[in-house]
Amino acid sequence: MTLNRTYQPDFKTIDHIDIPIPEKIILANGIETFLIEAGTQDVIKIDIFFNAGSWYQPKPVIASTVNEMLIEGTRNLTSKQIAEKLDFYGAFIHAQPTKDFGNVSLYTLKKYLPETIKILDDIIKNPTFPEDELSIFLNKRKQKFQIEIEKVSHIARREFNEQLFGKNHPYGIKADLNDYDNISRQDIVNFHSAYYCANNCKIIISGKVDDSVNDLVNQHFGSNDWKNDSLNISKKCTIESPTKLESFIPKEDVTQSAIRLGKVTINKDHPDFHKLEIVNTILGGYFGSRLMKTIREEKGYTYGINSVLVSFKHAGYFVILSEVGADVAKAAIEDSQKEIKRLREETISRDELALVKNYMLGDLLRSLNGAFEIASSFKSLIEHSLNLNFFNKQMETIQSITPDEIRKIADKYLHEDTLVKTIAGKYN
Amino acid sequence: MLRLYYLSLHSYLQIMIQFDKITLDNGLKVIVHTDPSTTIVAFNVLYNVGSRDEDSSRTGFAHLFEHLMFEGSIHIPSYDTPLQNAGGENNAFTSNDITNYYITLPKENIETAFWLESDRMLGLDFSENKLEIQKNVVTEEFNQRYLNQPYGDAFLLLRPLAYTTHPYQWPTIGKNISHIKEATLNEVKDFFMHHYAPNNAILSITGNITMDEVKPLAEKWFGSLPRRDVKNRQLATEPKQTKARSLSVERSVPQDAIYMAFHMSSKLDKAYYVTDLISDLLANGKSSRLYQNLVKDKKLFSEINAYITGDIDPGLIMVNGKLMPGIEMHTAEDAIWNELNQLMIEDISDYELNKVKNKFESVYQFGQLSGLNKAMNLAYYELLGDAELINHEIEKYRGVTKEEVKQTAEKLFCKENSSTLYYMAKK
Repeated sequence: MTLNRTYQPDFKTIDHIDIPIPEKIILANGIETFLIEAGTQDVIKIDIFFNAGSWYQPKPVIASTVNEMLIEGTRNLTSKQIAEKLDFYGAFIHAQPTKDFGNVSLYTLKKYLPETIKILDDIIKNPTFPEDELSIFLNKRKQKFQIEIEKVSHIARREFNEQLFGKNHPYGIKADLNDYDNISRQDIVNFHSAYYCANNCKIIISGKVDDSVNDLVNQHFGSNDWKNDSLNISKKCTIESPTKLESFIPKEDVTQSAIRLGKVTINKDHPDFHKLEIVNTILGGYFGSRLMKTIREEKGYTYGINSVLVSFKHAGYFVILSEVGADVAKAAIEDSQKEIKRLREETISRDELALVKNYMLGDLLRSLNGAFEIASSFKSLIEHSLNLNFFNKQMETIQSITPDEIRKIADKYLHEDTLVKTIAGKYN
Repeated sequence: MLRLYYLSLHSYLQIMIQFDKITLDNGLKVIVHTDPSTTIVAFNVLYNVGSRDEDSSRTGFAHLFEHLMFEGSIHIPSYDTPLQNAGGENNAFTSNDITNYYITLPKENIETAFWLESDRMLGLDFSENKLEIQKNVVTEEFNQRYLNQPYGDAFLLLRPLAYTTHPYQWPTIGKNISHIKEATLNEVKDFFMHHYAPNNAILSITGNITMDEVKPLAEKWFGSLPRRDVKNRQLATEPKQTKARSLSVERSVPQDAIYMAFHMSSKLDKAYYVTDLISDLLANGKSSRLYQNLVKDKKLFSEINAYITGDIDPGLIMVNGKLMPGIEMHTAEDAIWNELNQLMIEDISDYELNKVKNKFESVYQFGQLSGLNKAMNLAYYELLGDAELINHEIEKYRGVTKEEVKQTAEKLFCKENSSTLYYMAKK
């Protein structure tokens, strides 16, 4: 019998995913700690994150400076000694400042955890932010800032955030070069002691987790001596409605323009979120999305175009982002808007919806494959204190959503005429 | 070299990757590594063709071709749709040496991967229109990654300075956009027939699957594909460089930058591992020499890097950095040379050498967390001669001595072996 190459071999739709739910333990001082035991390699990752993002900073760039400078010296170790030890043990500490959180992650071979967790402990509780290190750090940041600001994608992102949230809102504010000159060591020290404390953080441990690992974490982070009794994280800010829907920032001599289209919308704690995420996937959330098909594969305007739902703690937004040929920016924006209109007005075909469902289930399976993947998938849920059944809900929603619901949700949340537009580069 | 410092026999055994290997009658090599801990399989097809196999008037072609591989094959009009229906995800990359295609999907749907990959190895559904579109997409990729970025063209300038003869003188994206725009459909077809063939490819699979399951599927889908007349690779050897080279350009960027390249050994030469560790001594991690001395202490650079290009033929070790404002180029350059010379003058300590070896081992272990990464590596080492090489990497790095570091540094870091690009900010 000759092989029939025309038809796809039988395949199974993923009908069930065993979703691991992290085990929660409480350290002696009350820190909520989540354990994800998986994988075959003897490696451990510890994520510890504080409500210490730029949301809380009194002036620009303080939160990220504190987060990234933790490893630049403690009461016990110099910056160089910390670097030496980490490199010697082949361990990594990554600081990751976001709008809402100050994250610190340790990646280490399990056999060296007793040594490497000591460093993590020290940099979190005892950083000294030495004056000379601070000055080196800020000078480097200024240099980097000057390079980034040359990129159309960066220019567009800054402007877009300001348009969405307003120039005084912590999610919208643009840092400027002189902000780096206007912070002092005292600002840094104050921010650290206010927010990097035991009653303001959570921990995730992933990898080859066992009792010895938990004991070490409890020993280093479970004590009561690093709490802040006057902790205040109740800061509230209002989002100003966009004053201008379209903003164009010209830049000479570019071959591409960066475009952003989007609006403030729901975030992960809203009951419609899973549905909107499916709508977003259809539009621009995977390689076979409508935007990729039209703007890249039919028109050849770009190397890539995506749409994303971003969930912050206090707000969420939707955004389409791309860098496109400088002479086709207008056409790319118009075509993107047409794709949204089509989502709102036309009912998606059964075939396309089935495809997206299968893709999304496969993607969910992949995102929960391996200890570190599971940890990063659950991180935003844990950060935002969401129900850990989130992925089960997501799976159910993917399986049950109908073409009609897709259209309704698109219509409810994504009207193309309500989108904020940002263009950096050329636009004509 | 048997006794491995800081490495017990126990931990050494743990990182051995077991695999099975067969070769089909048409020459396709198939490698399987069984990992019961995962429900996802990684399916990786490596073709032994890269930008070094391009005609010098058609650079960027191997990469353009990689894009066309997703535009439908003889029996399957859309590559992505059936894969996404089977819950799969895919991507590909082209390097100087290879073109690598990969899929991850649920294990029970692995036959879809066999079906898709065998059909596009059999033949593509070429058309003028598809070619035109992908030329545009690749042009935008060229723009986005190389031309529309500050410092984006540095390696477009540095490669032809370092290489006069070998095809490594152009980057994978190509020398310039015109080469991509001029590609014709006949050239595309010709390229396929001479490079894409079972006898020029390696299939590697990792996941909860065994060779017993893979072999019948491989025979079924790939077994009947014809061998092809693969072009014999005859690349011009790069003549030994005898004089320092340099180039100075001015661009509208905020800071001056310096890019230095030195010829190094091929991947299979022992000196490759030594050179890789030298690059780590110089710039891997915040405790490295260039970072501590030139960024932190002397405050000459805002960032500095050193790394090897990792090519199969003799490649380059690169050192590049961005200068702090007010620092003169010659001061910065002298400071780098001073650090490079230090490696030849003074013996490196056991501690420092162990540090970079430990770090290599750690990064290697973290790399094994990913099934896809293992699949890619198995195929790559098989291309180099034997997939089993994957299990000897650590001992090769562990075996590097301080004498070798010194000797290799002496060969690498002399003026006659250097190509330097001065990338100056327009005042």
